[in-house]
Amino acid sequence: MELSSILIIDDDAASLARLARLVAELPANRAPQINTAADLVEARTLLQAHHFDLALVDMQLPDGTGIDLIGWMQQHMPQLQAVIVSAFAEEEAIFAALRAGAVGYLLKDRDDIELTVALRSLQRGGAPIDPMIARRILALLPATQLPVAVPPAANVHLSERELGILAHVAQGYGNREIAELLGLSRLTIEAHTRNIYRKLAVGSRTAAVYEARAMGLLP
Amino acid sequence: MIRWLLLLLVWACMVPAQAQTPDVLRISQAEAVRADWHSSAAPSQGWVQVPLADQWQTRWPDHDGVVWYRLRWQQGDANQPTGLLLDYTCMAAAVYLNGSLIDRDASLVEPLSRSWHVPRYYLLQSPLLRQGDNELLVRVSGLAAYQPSLGVVDVGDPQTLQARYRQEVFVRHDLQVLDSAIGLVLAAVIGMFWLLRRKESMYGWYALSAVFGRLYDSNFFASSPWPFSTTDGWQAFIGACYVAGAVAHTVFLLRFCERRWPRMELILLGIAMLVMAGALLWPQWMGPNRNIYLVPTIAFLYVVSFTFMAYALRSGRRDYQVLALCIILPIAVSLHDLGVYMGWYGGVSYLGSFTSPLMLLGMGFVLAYRFANTMQRVEGFNAELRHEVQQATTQLADTLQQQHALALSHSRAGERLQLVRDLHDGFGGTLVGAIARLEQAPEDMPRQQVIGVLREMRDDLRLVIDSTAREQADLAELLIPLRHRASSLLEAADIQAHWHLHDIHGVELGATRSLDLLRLLQEGLTNVFKHSRAKRVDVYLRRQGDQLQVHIDDDGVGLMQSTDEQTAARAGAGLASMRLRARRLGGELQVSPATNGAGTRLALVLSVP
Repeated sequence: MELSSILIIDDDAASLARLARLVAELPANRAPQINTAADLVEARTLLQAHHFDLALVDMQLPDGTGIDLIGWMQQHMPQLQAVIVSAFAEEEAIFAALRAGAVGYLLKDRDDIELTVALRSLQRGGAPIDPMIARRILALLPATQLPVAVPPAANVHLSERELGILAHVAQGYGNREIAELLGLSRLTIEAHTRNIYRKLAVGSRTAAVYEARAMGLLP
Repeated sequence: MIRWLLLLLVWACMVPAQAQTPDVLRISQAEAVRADWHSSAAPSQGWVQVPLADQWQTRWPDHDGVVWYRLRWQQGDANQPTGLLLDYTCMAAAVYLNGSLIDRDASLVEPLSRSWHVPRYYLLQSPLLRQGDNELLVRVSGLAAYQPSLGVVDVGDPQTLQARYRQEVFVRHDLQVLDSAIGLVLAAVIGMFWLLRRKESMYGWYALSAVFGRLYDSNFFASSPWPFSTTDGWQAFIGACYVAGAVAHTVFLLRFCERRWPRMELILLGIAMLVMAGALLWPQWMGPNRNIYLVPTIAFLYVVSFTFMAYALRSGRRDYQVLALCIILPIAVSLHDLGVYMGWYGGVSYLGSFTSPLMLLGMGFVLAYRFANTMQRVEGFNAELRHEVQQATTQLADTLQQQHALALSHSRAGERLQLVRDLHDGFGGTLVGAIARLEQAPEDMPRQQVIGVLREMRDDLRLVIDSTAREQADLAELLIPLRHRASSLLEAADIQAHWHLHDIHGVELGATRSLDLLRLLQEGLTNVFKHSRAKRVDVYLRRQGDQLQVHIDDDGVGLMQSTDEQTAARAGAGLASMRLRARRLGGELQVSPATNGAGTRLALVLSVP
């Protein structure tokens, strides 16, 4: 997927600069158009004025949360890919953002090289995932899809392949290992991950808002 | 029961009416003469004229023995069957008609047969019966103390007299036996009640009073003084039974009213036992003088009964009132009997106490009433109990909830404390080390090195968080985040990471050792990532018995062979840190060339619990 215009929303200037630098360094046919915003109001104004392919949304903003904005974007410009950018240890919030419609997440505490890997995955149409999030998704699935009885929390229905990928991620396997074990390419695995996120969001848009409220992430 | 009552009433009404019927001649005059116990023929001298019924102790107060009675009447047609009815003879008797013996009791000397209450009926005809003058001789053996007597004699229509005789037998004998039988059965039932439930002593007292009462009743149908050898012995015993029955009845009524008068009860019981002992030891005195204790006892019983009735009426309790009602009729009957006994009026028919059926009803009602009440109480109690259990359960639940909340907050506080400790022990050390390194560093320390120190600290913090955030301290679980992260980093650097985990599920090293092992692995992998230029790394964790074998093999240039001096120095510093951790883990870090000659092997063996 060509990322020609990107919006980065973060109230921390250093963090903003770092993300902008990493995005700019991505290999691309032509340098992407990068806009930045420091709060929700500014972001909405920009979003309504221009077309963007990708939005990197920080979790904590002065006038609201990134989940708020992602929900809003899902309503007004569903074709826009939103990726949540999270600080340290915000599993709950990341999960809520995915449920609200985010197609991926970036962790600020990771090294540049790791963020670059994740961004390149996004660029290819994939999405990064880690064991904690995989676990959360598995726990959410209806009992019929899992041997253990888990109360059906949402009408999310994953394919066997997707379940297999999640189970391996949850065990800490790297993408290369999973690819070898399942006989897939690494690219396919990342694409599967993005699909899982989509299903997660479609499966329960209202539930996501409700969960986000319950967690105090939404007013 | 009702039939008996009606019969009683009918019979009571008939008493005055029966005096004369047209075809029956009542002989109310006789001649009497005394004789000794063994007199075999009527003496010729000493006859006196007496009216019937005659009790000879009023005329001959000290005469114990035989009195001959001579009665005469004129008979029309001797071929006409004629009935002869003797109302009673007290005690034993022999009957002669015109010189021929027509009836004789079993024992005419002590122990005397007890025919005192028994009517006699004979059907007479020629040749025993004569036309014109007929003479009836009745030889009565008796004791002055026990109303020795001959009742009225009727001659005439046999059907009338036989009917009257049968009626008398029915009332004086059959009904008494029936009454005693019912009374004894009732006593047995109530007594069993008491046996199974000693606390309800009222039932025991009732059974006792009923047993004594029925013993007393046997006086009305016993035909001999057996097992006593004298009439005195029998009479004294019967009298003592009456006293004992009255005392037991009194205590029963007290218990029935839920009263307990220990001193009075003790006195009454003492009296009853004294009387019984006296009756058994000195019957020759206790028998003849029985009025001395019987009359006060009867009077006392009346007082008790009337008192109870008054009390029952006032109490308003249904069971009291029913029992009082059941006692009224027996009292009336006993008043009648008292009159007979005292000779206030001429009758001889003791009604005894046809009280058993009535008492059966009364006690039956009392039992049923109390049972129903008790059941009601039990049911109420059940409801109450259920309510209280519910209340207690709620209270208990509240208490448990509070305790649970308290325990929860304690454990939360404990967890927080543990987290602080983990942070201090885990990350605090790293921070202190970093500060020391930066302090000792030259002024112009390159920026990259400072950032490197900070990154190490960040990675360490991530490890601390990952290892403490886990619910399970299982090594396999703890490895997941490190494995994932290292894999993606190494993948980004085009280094193939292969993990070989064997039997490490369930290995728990504890928080501190786990963290040290994770740090060691992280540092080892970081070295591979940064310095080895390897294409592949293999991580082995294998449990064998109580040992955990850890290897990190890479196919890079090898730590020792590194040509870059700076890199070697930094790798050496990393190696020193890893050695320190290995020692803290209780093992020794072995650094050697990899088995295939190229690359490096880091090996460590540590013990697991």
